[in-house]
This record gives sequence, structure tokens and C-alpha cells, in this order.
Amino acid sequence: MSLVPNESLPGTRPSRALFANGALMAGVFYVVLYGVYAAYDPGALSLATFTDLMNNAAPLALAAAGQTIVVLTRGFDLSLAGTISIVSVFMAVFPMEDAGGGAASFAACLAIGGAIGAVSGLLVAFRGIQSIAATLGVMIVCQGIALLILNAPGGAVAEWVSYEMTDVVFGFAPASGLVVLAFALAWLLLRKTDLGLSLYAIGADEGAAGLSGVPVARRRFWAYVLAGACYGAAGFMLSAQTATGDPNAGMPFLLLSFASVALGGTSLTGGQGGVVGSLIGACVLMLMQKVLFAAGVSSFYIGASQGALLILAILFGRLVSRAASSGDAK
Amino acid sequence: MTVEATLEAPTDTRRAARFSGEALTAMGLFALSAGMVAASPLISPALGSWSQIYTILLLVSFLLVISFGQGLVILTGGLDLSVGSVMMLGGVLTTTWIGGDSATFWGVMPVVLAFGAGIGALNGIGVAMVGIPPFIMTMGVGIVTASLALGYTGGTTLGAAPPPLLLLMKGDILGAPSVIVFVLLFCLVAWTLQSRTTFGRKVYAIGSSRRAARIAGVPIVSTTILVYATSGLCATLSGAMLVGYSNGATLRMGDPYLLPSIAAVVVGGSSILGGSGNFVNTICGALFLATLESLIAASGLGQGWRTILSGLIIVGALLVQSGWISGVFASVARRVRGAGG
Repeated sequence: MSLVPNESLPGTRPSRALFANGALMAGVFYVVLYGVYAAYDPGALSLATFTDLMNNAAPLALAAAGQTIVVLTRGFDLSLAGTISIVSVFMAVFPMEDAGGGAASFAACLAIGGAIGAVSGLLVAFRGIQSIAATLGVMIVCQGIALLILNAPGGAVAEWVSYEMTDVVFGFAPASGLVVLAFALAWLLLRKTDLGLSLYAIGADEGAAGLSGVPVARRRFWAYVLAGACYGAAGFMLSAQTATGDPNAGMPFLLLSFASVALGGTSLTGGQGGVVGSLIGACVLMLMQKVLFAAGVSSFYIGASQGALLILAILFGRLVSRAASSGDAK
Repeated sequence: MTVEATLEAPTDTRRAARFSGEALTAMGLFALSAGMVAASPLISPALGSWSQIYTILLLVSFLLVISFGQGLVILTGGLDLSVGSVMMLGGVLTTTWIGGDSATFWGVMPVVLAFGAGIGALNGIGVAMVGIPPFIMTMGVGIVTASLALGYTGGTTLGAAPPPLLLLMKGDILGAPSVIVFVLLFCLVAWTLQSRTTFGRKVYAIGSSRRAARIAGVPIVSTTILVYATSGLCATLSGAMLVGYSNGATLRMGDPYLLPSIAAVVVGGSSILGGSGNFVNTICGALFLATLESLIAASGLGQGWRTILSGLIIVGALLVQSGWISGVFASVARRVRGAGG
């Protein structure tokens, strides 16, 4: 496994490279699914509908972005659900109006997420506790804290946040879409840094990364902090969309974040993939919900389709990587 | 030389070294639980009686059954996040397929249990044959199961508890509550299966080292599938028991048991990485959690504090396991000694 993150596996035939590039595959899937949606609902191609879709998808997309960072280092982060819940009640209990207040809330959300991520990172990177177990404990504690802040759904998010963050800016772009785009760009920059490269190196082979001078524990710690900040941003966007707080808001995001990561072509065993694929994967999942609703599927079965899609995405990813590696061997 | 003998040689020495630690954990947890019951009249005068102990044992019974399956899965190095949903499915199928009719109970109950075991086996196939990470596979299957159960009932649960289950959960056998007799029998069978059979030994072997187990000729795929099927079976059984206890199925009735099932195993001192643990320890872990829960419920703390406390207990147990607590004590002791001398 090379140290350089190859999302497109050079040297394989173009058709194979297309399948091996998770982000591109997910993008193609999104466009096809959008076509299906447009067939059911002719209004699907309007800016208003697209803005709605982006508003729906943004919280999951940012949550999945954070999850991807941890998954790349061969970990799983369950604290995601707790962080989103805490941020959701924080936004509803302490609303701050106007642009300045909105910016301050956003910074506070990032800080809350980063702090929770630091606790997980401490347990996993420096105490060597298995990531699932440690983040499970952190998640439960966070759920409790969220209940202490607000013990039932309620409260009101600042109007500036709930209006401006779900609106169209510059006359053509959904604000939520721009936030997701900003995170994608930030990731593309991060990937080129020492920290970004070591995430892949740790995931691919921790021992080798340590031997070649990567400070494994410290870099892993920062992976959890960055991931936590992403969950904080996800909670912020969720508050903008729902305009109210819910101490259990994070739970539904847990499975969906893994499904987005898998759909976006990131290997759940670490070392391969990237955030961009997960962002698009999240958009695919939320669009699929819309399509199923439009097709008249009972809401009870939406969960079944999401669980099934998660497992199918993993199976597909496995087939592709097997095909790609047998292609390399030839 | 048989496979048995090759497996026996290395495990024996480690078991001797581990025995004292495991037994100490179990006895410590048991003593803590007993101490909490004894001290509970201080919190509320209504507590500390035989009826409190009976309530704790009743609550422990669901947890024990579900934790045995969870413990086996954790022993292989996995995690079963579908137990809550499978438990609900067990409850829903018990009330809809059997209902208040005791005539069909003995014929249909095995079918319901087999159904749950089948879902567990599906988890095992995904994990062992396809190589999907256990907690992803079980989370996916759990969501699908819950969603299908919701769709099947249309959002409202119908039907009543079968009379034999009511008798099991609320009746008496030879003067003792029948559920306690049943759970004691269950624990005996479960302990025997885990610690006294070749199946149990294979599970330990897979958990300590998959590669070594493969070389020693342990059938990894079929054993893993059996482990997950057992977990599904246990979850379904505890769902049926809960139906007998609360006289019907409710949606999401299994969810409150998912995290405690993991906590009971981990607090009992089994490694979350697999390969070590003992069902007796899980029993003590479950007793400890249920006693604590009953005390917290009586103390009038809100749901928020209760949740925080249960999370801290899990993190604490993990820190103890990772040697942090003993490390801190050791370094404090060193410093104290250094300051004195």
C-alpha cells in the first residue's frame, strides 16, 4: 500500500478506474437517481427543490465527512450521535441572533465538537482503547449531557441561522450547498498536508507508518478532534434545518454516516477513500429517501432500504477492490 | 494429536494467570451489588427488602439472556448491535403469531426462536463469509429488522402474551418465582456451553487469534455463524420473556437493552477485543448494573444524569482494563514512597 492517497488507482484501465473511484461512482449514481426523481416529480429540476435537497443532505454530509476521517485511520466513531445531539440542544437553548451571532454559534459548535473529539482521541490514541468501545462510552455520556441541557425536544434556533443557512445566496446557490463545498475544499487542502497523508498511512499500516516516523498517537488524536469539529458543523446545519432542538437528534445519523462513507467508496478497514466521496454518498442517501417517498413507499420501510443499501455498498466496494487488485497483479 | 490438545496447551497457563483477576472482578462486583442493596434503605426507606431483590433479579433476567449472546459475539472479537431490534421482532412475532392462545404456543414458539436465530445467522454470514466489519453488519441488519417489524405491525402492536409466558414470568414453581428458576437453569446451560464444550473452546480460540485458530483447524466460518445465531436466539428469547412480563409487545421495546447488554459484558471484565471473558463475570456485571439502575431510579435523578452515569461506567471499565487506573495508582504510590524516602 503506497503512502500517497490514490483515489483513482493509476495504471488501471479507464473503465476500471471509474469503478475504483468512489467519489465519481457516487456522483454518477446521484445524477442517475436525480433523473429518476425528475421523472416522478417534474418540479425536481427547480432551484427550490435542489435547495431543499441540499438542506436535507448537508447535516448528514458533514457528519459523514467527520466519520470518514476516523474511518481512514481504521477506527469507528460512535460519538458522532452524542455530539450532534449536544449541538442541537445548544443551538436551541442559547440562540444568538444576526450574522455575528450566527458566526459565534458556528464557532461554538466547532469548539464543542472538537472538545468531545479530543476526549475520544485521548481514549483511543493515547490509552489504546478500541475505538468502538471508547466512542460508545463517550456517546452515551454526551447523550446524557444533551438531556441535561434540554430534556425534551423544543426550544427555538436563532432566526438568522434558520433562515439564512437554508436560503439561496447570490441568486443561484443554496447556502447549505456552499457550506458542504467549503468542507470539500478544506479536505482537498488537508489531504496534501502531513496530517492528511499520515491519516492514510496509519490506516494502511500503522506499524509501517510508525517506523517511517509518523507520530501515530498524536496524528490519530487530531483525526478525532477534526472529526468532532465536523460533527459540530453537522449539528449546526441540522439546527438551521429543523429550527428546534432535540436531545436525541444525533442517533439517526449514526448508521447513515457509515452508509455514506461506504457509498462514497471509502474502505471501512481504513487507508483508502476520501471525504469527497462521503459527501456525495450522503447526498445520494437523502435523495434516495425522497425518491422512495415520491414512489409511494411506506415510511416504515425507508429504514430497511437504507440498511440494505449500506450492506450492498460495502459488498460492491469489496468486489471493486478485489477486481482492481487482481487487475494490478496481471 | 488432536485439535483439543493443541488448543489446551497455551490456554491452560493463561487461564491460571487470569483466574485470580477474573474471579476477583466477579467477587468485587457481587460484593458491590450486595453492598448497594444493603445500603439502599439510606436512599429510600422502601428499599432493601426482599421485594427489591426480587425486582432486581427480574430485571436482570432479560439482561442476562441477551448478554450471553452478546458475550459470545464479543468473545470472537465482534459486537452485535442488532440485539435490540431482534428482541423487538421476537416480541412482535410472539404476540402476533401466538397471541393469547396457549394451544399453539408449543408449536409456534420454536418457529419464532428459529426466526431470530436465522437473523443472527445472517449477521454471522456477513461477518465470517463476506468479511463485513461486525458492528456495521449487525447495525445494518438491526435497522432492516426494526424497519420490517414496524412495517409488519403497521406501527401499532397487536395481540396478547401467551399464557405459558405469563406463567413463566409471573408464576411460581415449588414456591420459588418460576422466572428465577428458569434463569438459573439458563445460566447453567449457558456457562456449560461457553466453558465446558468444544464449541466454547473454539469460540475462545477464534477470539484470541483467528490465525492460530485457523492453523489449529478450528472451523472459523461455521463457528462464527453459530455464535451470531446464538445471539439472535437469545435476543428473541428475551423478547418473548419481556412480552410475558409486560403482557404484550411494544415498539422499540428492545432498544433499552442494547447498550446494557454490551456494558454487562465489558463491566464484567471481558476484553472488548475478544478472546477472554467468562459468563460468570457477565452475570456479576449484569447484577451490578441492574442494582445500580434500581438505586438511581429510586434516588430520583433525572434521565440525563442516569445516562451520563452509565456512560461513565463503561468508560471507567475500559480504563481499568487498559491498565490506566492501576498505572495511576502505581505512579502515585511511587511518588509517595519517593517523597517519604
